[in-house]
Amino acid sequence: MWSYLFKRLLHMIPLLLGVSLLTFLLMALAPGDYFTALSQNPQISSETIAHLKARFHLDQPWYVQYFYWLKSVLSGDFGYSMAYKIPATSLIVGRLWNTFLLSFFAMIIAWGIALPLGIWAAVKKDSWIDRGCSLAAFLGLSVPDVLLSLLALWFAAATGWFPVGGAQSPLNDLMSPAQQFWDRAHHLILPALVLAAADWAGIMRQMRSNLLDTLRAEYVTAARARGLGEGWVIYKHALRNAINPLLTIFGYSLAALLSGAFIVENIMAWPGLGRLTMEAFFAKDSYLVVDCVVMATGLLVVGNFIADLLLAWSDPRIRLNK
Amino acid sequence: MNLLEIKNLKMDFGTGADALRAVDGVSLTIGAGETVCLVGESGCGKSVTALSIAQLVPMPPANYVGGEILLNGRDTLKMSNSELRGIRGGVVSYVFQEPGASLNPVFRIGNQIKESLKLHRPLGAPFSDPARSGDANEPGRRPALQNYNNEIIRLLKLVGIPAPESRIRNYPFEMSGGMQQRVMIAMALASEPKLLVADEPTTALDVTIQAQILELLHDLKQRLGMAILLITHNLGIVGDMADRVAVMYAGQIVELSPAKELLRRPLHPYTKALINSVPKLAGGASRLSAIPGNVPRIGNFPPGCRFAPRCPIARPECSNAIPELVEVEAGRWVRCPFWK
Amino acid sequence: MNEATPIQNPTAEQPLSPWQLFWRRLKRRRIAMAGGMILIGLYLVALFAGFIAPYHFERQDRDRFFHPLLWPKLSGFHLVVPRYEAGDGSFVYHPVAGDTKPLRFFLRGDKYKLLGLVPATVHLFGTGDENYPVYLLGTDQFGRDVLSRLLYGSQISLSIGIIGILLSFTFGMMIGGISGYFGGRTDTVIMRLCELIMSIPALYLIISLRATFPPGMSSAQVYAMIVIILSFIGWASMARVIRGMTLSLREQQFVLAARALGQTHLKVIMRHILPNTFSYVIVAATLSVPYYILGEVVLSFLGVGIQEPNASWGNMLTAAQNTEYLRNYPWLLAPGAAIFVTVLAFNFLGDGLRDAADTKS
Repeated sequence: MWSYLFKRLLHMIPLLLGVSLLTFLLMALAPGDYFTALSQNPQISSETIAHLKARFHLDQPWYVQYFYWLKSVLSGDFGYSMAYKIPATSLIVGRLWNTFLLSFFAMIIAWGIALPLGIWAAVKKDSWIDRGCSLAAFLGLSVPDVLLSLLALWFAAATGWFPVGGAQSPLNDLMSPAQQFWDRAHHLILPALVLAAADWAGIMRQMRSNLLDTLRAEYVTAARARGLGEGWVIYKHALRNAINPLLTIFGYSLAALLSGAFIVENIMAWPGLGRLTMEAFFAKDSYLVVDCVVMATGLLVVGNFIADLLLAWSDPRIRLNK
Repeated sequence: MNLLEIKNLKMDFGTGADALRAVDGVSLTIGAGETVCLVGESGCGKSVTALSIAQLVPMPPANYVGGEILLNGRDTLKMSNSELRGIRGGVVSYVFQEPGASLNPVFRIGNQIKESLKLHRPLGAPFSDPARSGDANEPGRRPALQNYNNEIIRLLKLVGIPAPESRIRNYPFEMSGGMQQRVMIAMALASEPKLLVADEPTTALDVTIQAQILELLHDLKQRLGMAILLITHNLGIVGDMADRVAVMYAGQIVELSPAKELLRRPLHPYTKALINSVPKLAGGASRLSAIPGNVPRIGNFPPGCRFAPRCPIARPECSNAIPELVEVEAGRWVRCPFWK
Repeated sequence: MNEATPIQNPTAEQPLSPWQLFWRRLKRRRIAMAGGMILIGLYLVALFAGFIAPYHFERQDRDRFFHPLLWPKLSGFHLVVPRYEAGDGSFVYHPVAGDTKPLRFFLRGDKYKLLGLVPATVHLFGTGDENYPVYLLGTDQFGRDVLSRLLYGSQISLSIGIIGILLSFTFGMMIGGISGYFGGRTDTVIMRLCELIMSIPALYLIISLRATFPPGMSSAQVYAMIVIILSFIGWASMARVIRGMTLSLREQQFVLAARALGQTHLKVIMRHILPNTFSYVIVAATLSVPYYILGEVVLSFLGVGIQEPNASWGNMLTAAQNTEYLRNYPWLLAPGAAIFVTVLAFNFLGDGLRDAADTKS
């Protein structure tokens, strides 16, 4: 199993490199850059602009730029954000953490609801519980993130129970650590719920379908034939096998979650990577866009790796057979 | 009292107008220590009949509309869930066709056997079923367990698995088909059942392994005094294993007879055709004889005798009414008025 | 007994072809058929948007910003349209009692192009009088009829879904088929590329791709750009799946038979292998169209897709981001409801297709 995981780990590196190269290339193809706007400004001399460009290597061909970018990223320095006028590293790390928080809690909520519901629906197949869950899942799958976020904003504004956007109150720094924590948690709830609401349906249907398939397997009949109680058969024998395919869709779920987070962050003003990407996009800060995309990909790739780890640990066929 | 008495069992799939009768009036008895073979082509209802003994057919869609199954005198069709759990494994054990699919792929085989032991033979008590604890003195029965591992190793040795100590920690996929089937048999024996139902236990295995497994079953039967209901579509097995044979066609038993008699002198046209269609290696080359036509599908049974459309001696009156299963000689039953 | 005997009553039935079986199973799923009907309705409406919409999507009514829903009423046996009036300066409108105009059908109105080709002026309904407008879904912040914009927007949002799918799936199937069939280096390179594309969370990639296009483009160019971007995201996952299916299909006997008859590689892929993937492709396509529609919606919503004054369901929702607007003028969310219904219908249909194609159940 370790060699399998090690190989996967090694695999990640060229992947991230490839992604950074691809994104860099795309941004290099973009017409204009940060300085196009500046050069319209008569107050800034063309020498200043030329000087700034040289400093950030923006006058070089794209592969040279990429080399410089890669070099600095590998030493932990994400360069300088021209739009925000601060070093990009702290900016990115802060936003990355926010996106991670949002995605992580959304995932916990989504899976926490979806798995039990899926199991319940499978065990009580064709009952009104099952049909109700299926209907709710359908509706859940069909509601677009955009609509849900807008409705959540409206809900927050109308009831006043939740803050309308942002990750913390303006006065957060003045609060005691405990208050700070609750303040941030309070801001996190609605975006996390919205993000989870978009994700849970697919997982629930998959869990239900997996469990139904497993319950049809011959080893389940064989287990019953040995006199094992129905509950034992379902929760020990069937469920254990039904979980494994879910780990494989974990990757897709995470990808959808990160994409969804992009929308939720931008609509509900949650300061994460997605929001930063749009801000960088509008400011034509190409380095920053590349940084964000690579970071988000990194998050996804690491998440997938963890899922592989879990799958290898859980399924002996993979652990021992590669 | 016979160990197992299936009386006029009738089972449908589905209800109402869509109901399809899979088992139509099947009656069969098995005495203690007897081996009965249930023979028939795919789709004739033999597996479903066997699974019905412990009510293992999913209901819905299965629907029992008539008859009874008496196991040690009690009707299993009327048993509650807890009573059923008591007999499953305890009185009747199953061995299924595909051993790879019958073993849970994510648990080690030692653990799976232990699970069965914990259920039926908890440490210190010979049997968990109070009705059976009086059997401690029956020939072949073991005393109470003190240690699971030893018992697991003993069972694995019993079914002929070499070096069982190292096999305990194996996962099913790490074993060959033959080994997996032996493990299944070991699990079935863990609770010392009185009736072992083996549903095509060797169909998925190579021919040489088939022979080994059958020999194992034969050996175990003699040692443990257990009755076996062996389901197969392979007539070759019947001669080696069975005391009596029941031949099924389209949901009904068409011939029931002691094994040697059946093979020597089959009475029902279907049985005759089956025996004739087995290719003979010795003797001059001749055309393979096949039974013309196809097995009727459930729900599409012809009127009257169900074999009539394909029967070489069929007469017009055969399609009028389903013939009764009649005892025409001692211990020999046929469902055909023109068997002579 | 040894002569062959004629079969008297053959009990075998005439089997149905796979397509007939599939269609029968599909018809039995009423939810799927309902979804299909809804979609047919939506696309028909989109096709005739100009005719059904009472107004042109750019038409502004400067006297009626944020007008609430204005529906005709029954007066005796006729449908009449009331007139509303606002209190000074505010956007709160009240009906003026007794001041109505009859509703007419098939009347002349704003110019449009039927099916994008034929200039026409006949509209399905209206009053014909500028002072008595019919705003079935109210007006937006520029005084434009929401229903009309919704209908014109449906043309863009719905068509992008279909065209995007066609492009990316065709491309993905071919690449996947080639990759799986030939194997070796080609396969590795293509799969690595697919994996690369699939590792980037979709919206991040979409924005990166958007950045490579200049900001000011004509609406036709924007439309093409969105289609290209969305297709670029979609083909990779389809290629991977098709490649997997091809790997197992090419080992099948009928492929060997085709090659033995002298078929070229390309023909084998196109005529033997790919058609066997259709059942999967059709289901995947139906279930993927919503993502394409949503891709366009998000792009337009964020301001980098379909631009004003053109209408798309995405850019119509931008106004709803303002919570003040949302609280006071909730009809601005109408495009959201339209998207929801469309996605729901596609999901119903796709689910039914999948169940009908699944021979296991």
